[in-house]
Amino acid sequence: MVSAETKSPEQSRDGLAGSLELLAEMGRDFAGSRDVDGALLRALERITDYLDAEGAALFLLEDKGRLLRCQSCIGTAEITGLTLKSDQGIVGHSVQNDAGEIVRDVSLDPNFDSSVDKQTGYTTRSILCAPLSVQNERLGAIELINKKSGDGLFSEDDLHVLEVLCSSAALAVLNARMAEELVEQEAVRRELELAAEIQRNLLPPEPKGDSVIRGINIPARTVSGDFYDFFTLPDGRVTFCVGDVSGKGINAALLMAKTASLFRCLGKTVNSPGKLLGLVNAEICETSTRGMFVTMAAGVFNPTTETVCIANAGHEPPLFMSRDGTTERFEAEAPPIGISPLVVPEEGYPEVSFSMTDGALYIFTDGVTEGALEDGSMLELEGVLEILNDTAGNSLAQRLQAVIDKINWGDGYLHDDLTILGLSAGPPAGDSDTLVVRKSVQGKAKNLKLLRTAVTDSLSKIGLEESMVGDIVLATDEACQNIIRHAYGGETDDHIDLEIFFQNRRLSIYLQDTAEPVDLHAIKPRNLDDLKPGGLGTNFINRIMDEVVYSHRKNATGNQVYMAKKLD
Amino acid sequence: MEHSVREEGKTVIVGVSGDIDLESSPEARRVLLAEVDKGSPVLVDMSGVSYIDSSGVASLVESLQMARAKGGDFALAAVSESALRVLQLARLDKVFAIHDTIEDGLADGG
Repeated sequence: MVSAETKSPEQSRDGLAGSLELLAEMGRDFAGSRDVDGALLRALERITDYLDAEGAALFLLEDKGRLLRCQSCIGTAEITGLTLKSDQGIVGHSVQNDAGEIVRDVSLDPNFDSSVDKQTGYTTRSILCAPLSVQNERLGAIELINKKSGDGLFSEDDLHVLEVLCSSAALAVLNARMAEELVEQEAVRRELELAAEIQRNLLPPEPKGDSVIRGINIPARTVSGDFYDFFTLPDGRVTFCVGDVSGKGINAALLMAKTASLFRCLGKTVNSPGKLLGLVNAEICETSTRGMFVTMAAGVFNPTTETVCIANAGHEPPLFMSRDGTTERFEAEAPPIGISPLVVPEEGYPEVSFSMTDGALYIFTDGVTEGALEDGSMLELEGVLEILNDTAGNSLAQRLQAVIDKINWGDGYLHDDLTILGLSAGPPAGDSDTLVVRKSVQGKAKNLKLLRTAVTDSLSKIGLEESMVGDIVLATDEACQNIIRHAYGGETDDHIDLEIFFQNRRLSIYLQDTAEPVDLHAIKPRNLDDLKPGGLGTNFINRIMDEVVYSHRKNATGNQVYMAKKLD
Repeated sequence: MEHSVREEGKTVIVGVSGDIDLESSPEARRVLLAEVDKGSPVLVDMSGVSYIDSSGVASLVESLQMARAKGGDFALAAVSESALRVLQLARLDKVFAIHDTIEDGLADGG
């Protein structure tokens, strides 16, 4: 390392020990400092001092290696921020060749670029330059100018020392850059997490208790290109949809956010699913990104009539499964959203209506049917049907979860977002609920007071507020009146059976009669703006209760009214 | 359900009390319509009403409509909180003239 020609053996040992000590000092500084720029400047000072140079400059490559920028400088004219082409001058030469350069007399070197001297008025006589590189990655160079002592010229030994010191500095620069990259990656990850949270909030809140509608969405990555939504309209109908944006990643996530927002906003006023999808299509087409589209199935469920109306824009066909296991699928008759406003008929996407009595509707994305099972095969529609059949006796939430669990196993990597939505209209089994009151009376007007008293007493006992008790009593009373008047056609010796259950802050009220099955479509609340006596009872029920389902009894002749109220 | 009828000046005060439900509302309807039919201003004293359902509300609506047809006044007074809630559910709390007390109702011309 040290040449005996220029220095005595004693000096050499001092030199070696000195340079090792300097190396150790720099290493400690780099390791202990978070401020790499500061540590580099201090290293430059030490090197300048140790090699007895008039000045020094540290250049780093930037702009994809096209430019060298002076990061810091000492002694000579202030050139911090100065940029050179990456092959310009001695420093450029050193970087390009990844080798140290020593120029005893710059005026004799054709690579010397005198333009800086001209700018600064400084006279460069001698230059020592060593590259900053780690393995094959070039980062820049450190250049020393004009030796102060001796003959004023740098020696080969000086170059060796500089090269060693430069490799230490290079490692520090590289480490700092990698740390910066990690910080950046972490920042991107955090941004994505925030985006994912916004997305999760676009999904409807998980309904409490035994809701007729539920959904699950599991993104394959942090953000999702899938979505589902449902919300209850003021008249009690439930609007819902499932969508799948083409592609994955942040662009799909943004289009998902836009489509979901449009759906929810327009869906509050447009209650026809076909028209609604048509409007969403028109809006998306206006500002769509080329090549991106959304497949979407939407519907409006009427709990009063237990009917649903759905429309399908190029989406995986919604599946209706009746309790006896028979299935029906509703193929898309129109293309996905975002392709063109012209492919959709003026009146909107085609709609189909059907009864939801005795069955459940499932809408999912292809991430579900194409989901990978533990053995590597795909779930396919058959797999979905099998799970739904096997879990037919379970709650809607359990059924949907069973499908998702089949794909989202262990640490299994998801190829696509998973989304499934279920609509199950029939009243749920009440066996796990706590019975609050059970009473059976003959369908006569004079017996209604008995029922009211029984309901009032039992609801007061479980701690309901007086006004809430009043509302529930009224709704129950009105439902009983409807049974006497409309199901039985007047007073009768036949019975009305009342059961009230309470679970998870939710009251479930069941009223059953033994009358001939009524036309469920005929049960309608009347328009309150039309001032007339009569017909108010159904309005009262709908305004008081969160959920009302009329159905025919399954195992006996008769009708059932199921009413539910969430207690906050 | 119990009822009473008394006159205060030109105004007929019909008091109804107890539960006005499917069983009793036909009687309430008959009493109210009979008084409204006479053409005098009718003020219904609701202070004793412990419960009213849609059929009871319907009797009040029918009476109001008959009064309007005859150009007479029909108002409610001393409506209990629970009965008022039912009128609100039917969105009728702004349709009926509702007075806090009988005295207010009479002062307002019944």
